[in-house]
Amino acid sequence: MEISCKNFGIDGLYVKASGRLDLDSAVEYGVKIKDTMEDAQEDIKELVLDFSQITFISSFGLKVILELYKEMQAKQGSLKLKDIPEQLKSSFKMVGFDKFLDID
Amino acid sequence: MFKTLKSKITVTAIVMLALLLSAFGFLTVISRMKTKQLMVQNYSFSINASFLEEINDKIVSLEDNLKSLALIGSLHYKTSRSDELTDQVIVRIFRNYPGTLGGGIWYKPYIMNKNKKYDCFYAYRNKDNKVVIDKNFSSEEYDYPNQGWYKQIISKVTPKRNIVWSRPYYENQGSYTMMVTAGTGMYVDGELVGIATVDWEISSLIEDISKMKPFERTFSMYKSGREIKNSFALFGNTDDDYIITTTDPYLANKSLVGHSMKEIPWFAENLYGRTYITYHGKKYVPFYRKLRNGMVLVICVPKSAMFWRIDSFYFGMLLIILFFIIAILALMYFGMNKYIIKPIDKLIQIAHKISKGEDVNIKIEKPEEFAQLAATYNKMTQDIKSITKEREHINSELNIAKSIQASTLPSVFPPFPDRDEFDIYALMEPAKEVGGDFYDFYFIDENHFMFLIADVSGKGVPAALFMMTAKTLISNLSQVGYEPKELIQLINRKICETNKQGLFVTMFSGIINVVTGEITYINCGHNPPLIKTNSCEYKYLDGESNIVLGAFDDFDFKIYKSVLNIGDTLCLYTDGVTEATNHNDEMYGEKRLLEKINKFDNDDIKTMAFDIRNDVLKYTEKIERSDDLTLLIFKYRSKHHSVRKTIYKAPASRENYKQFYEWLHGICKDWNISAELTNKLDMCGEEIYANIAFYAYPQTQGDIRVSVQKEDNRIILRFEDDGVPYNPLEKPDPDINLPPEQRPLGGLGIFMVKEMANDIQYEFTNGSNILTLKFNYNME
Repeated sequence: MEISCKNFGIDGLYVKASGRLDLDSAVEYGVKIKDTMEDAQEDIKELVLDFSQITFISSFGLKVILELYKEMQAKQGSLKLKDIPEQLKSSFKMVGFDKFLDID
Repeated sequence: MFKTLKSKITVTAIVMLALLLSAFGFLTVISRMKTKQLMVQNYSFSINASFLEEINDKIVSLEDNLKSLALIGSLHYKTSRSDELTDQVIVRIFRNYPGTLGGGIWYKPYIMNKNKKYDCFYAYRNKDNKVVIDKNFSSEEYDYPNQGWYKQIISKVTPKRNIVWSRPYYENQGSYTMMVTAGTGMYVDGELVGIATVDWEISSLIEDISKMKPFERTFSMYKSGREIKNSFALFGNTDDDYIITTTDPYLANKSLVGHSMKEIPWFAENLYGRTYITYHGKKYVPFYRKLRNGMVLVICVPKSAMFWRIDSFYFGMLLIILFFIIAILALMYFGMNKYIIKPIDKLIQIAHKISKGEDVNIKIEKPEEFAQLAATYNKMTQDIKSITKEREHINSELNIAKSIQASTLPSVFPPFPDRDEFDIYALMEPAKEVGGDFYDFYFIDENHFMFLIADVSGKGVPAALFMMTAKTLISNLSQVGYEPKELIQLINRKICETNKQGLFVTMFSGIINVVTGEITYINCGHNPPLIKTNSCEYKYLDGESNIVLGAFDDFDFKIYKSVLNIGDTLCLYTDGVTEATNHNDEMYGEKRLLEKINKFDNDDIKTMAFDIRNDVLKYTEKIERSDDLTLLIFKYRSKHHSVRKTIYKAPASRENYKQFYEWLHGICKDWNISAELTNKLDMCGEEIYANIAFYAYPQTQGDIRVSVQKEDNRIILRFEDDGVPYNPLEKPDPDINLPPEQRPLGGLGIFMVKEMANDIQYEFTNGSNILTLKFNYNME
């Protein structure tokens, strides 16, 4: 999958990925974001994940999201998901992620 | 009974020896008879030669004496010499005849002297054997002309018959011995002047006779001189018919002296012309001799005593011959046993051993012929062994060929577990040889299923090879996608091309559209299949048979079309079923097959196939079947379910995941499954796949098998692996209401699966973890 990370503001990171977020790609996706955050000069406090090009998310993808969420929360940052396709929303809801993430 | 060599030889030997014995016996009997005749002759001769001659000599001497006396008496009468002179002459004469006891000259009364009545001379031998003149007989008291002997003699004498013998009488002048007197007339000038007499004392003769021991004094072929007991004699006179004496033991008490000889029971009528007489139950050989003075002597010798020696000799000879014959028989028997029968028995036993495959080496040294035969046997055994070995080698290769041939037939049932439109079951029970039956079935495209049963003509290796060719050819051509008619023409043409040996194939084949039940079928000279439609009874499937495959390459085959309904069943079989024969040479037959198959009310076609097979095998019992027994049963199950099923199978690894989801997506796209459901299948599929890939095979590598099945209103996703047993459903669900910081990272996946699937089942069967997920979907 293609992943592009872009800094914005002082401590924001905008990540745009396309394709499936599954067993094959989820770990790569997570590692790439974490590496980018560690490499950044400023401590990233605001993480925005662009889901507009994501076609599929599985439990492995969701697990990575939860992981990132926990990390951001630990450093008092925020995680936002942007433009989640309709067909993926049910997955987030199913595992109760809608309770702490803004799905819509 | 006389079938064995032993009995035949024995019988021949016995017959031969019996003939020999008969010849010997005959010769013996003849020789015994001749010997007996000779013996009788000898005895008879010996009686003549000694005893009788002696008596006759005595008689001659007495007669001479008598004649001399008569001459003196005549001279005395003529010359009237003095009595003293005549006395002296008489004494002198008597000296010349020492056998004479006494004798005299007796003149008729008053013939010498008219005044003197008695005039006679008499002399006798006294006890000192001295001749003494006795003058006492001319006395008045004696009155000789009145004595019996005088009267007898004088009355009988004639000038012709000049000697007369008196009957025996007892001399009454003191000695009381038995006497016979012979007398003769004295004629002077033709006138009878008196008689002369001589006395013969026959007591000693009688004594001799009574003591007669026939062989003692005669020469004989036996030197022992054994006395013949119980012989007896008769002495008498046949001219005047009186008995002098007899030693007949049965008449010993009677005084028969002087009686008629006719009183002897065995004498008169029995004696003449006979070799033997039977007297008081005993056989006697009579010897009859007549003396010159009319007396007869008969000596009867018991036959048994006389021939005892001869008989015992011949009996002994027979015994010796018998002994030799028995000895010869025994020798032959033992010789035959040792040199013929035993070697043959041995060879027979050896032959049995050879036939059992035992290793044998025969040693027979004698006789030469059997030694050669034994050597031939030994060579034959070796030859048989090498031939057998060769044959076993061929047999084992044929067995391998047979199993190779059998393994080319589909043998895993159900062959398409993911297709439940139909059931199919087939079996082949091969005959002893490699044979020519085969069956086959396969999908020629997704919905068209082809099945066939066929029988190659002939048997053995050629048929088997041809069968392999035909089977491969048919299956290859079927996959290309020809129309049924085109296909069969092509198959026929190809078989014709490869068939140089003139073999052919009978075949029934059907191609069914499993979705619609439409079936196209063709019969190329095969047994018509049985079909059961709409739950009726089985009957023959309609349609004429074509010519067999491989006969004419341009034959126009006729194919038939029909439609099968749910539950319709086709039973295909080869002639190995209907033409199986029992020990009475009767075929199993189509009628029996129909009866058997119609009795069957079970739904399971495998059981049905085995039932038919077992029934045929039971029918043929121990008879070795000459033909393969092949059955193929096809049952159409459903067209409404419109089941579709696809299977994925690959080593379970993370690297293969991409391949897996692409497969799954492909199916979803093919089957027009909604994006929502595809998403669910995708997510669940990934989760279960990952579980298996990560945890099922911790040490080893293993496969994951996934099937997707589409039914009318649901999708069934089924995962299988052969790894460690693990039931993911037992994992507790995560609490999704917890604040995010408290939520664990794992456990989401299986929770989601449970959420998404409408039904989820886990089972561990036959070493496999099986997880079945069912997803309902709405028909859009």
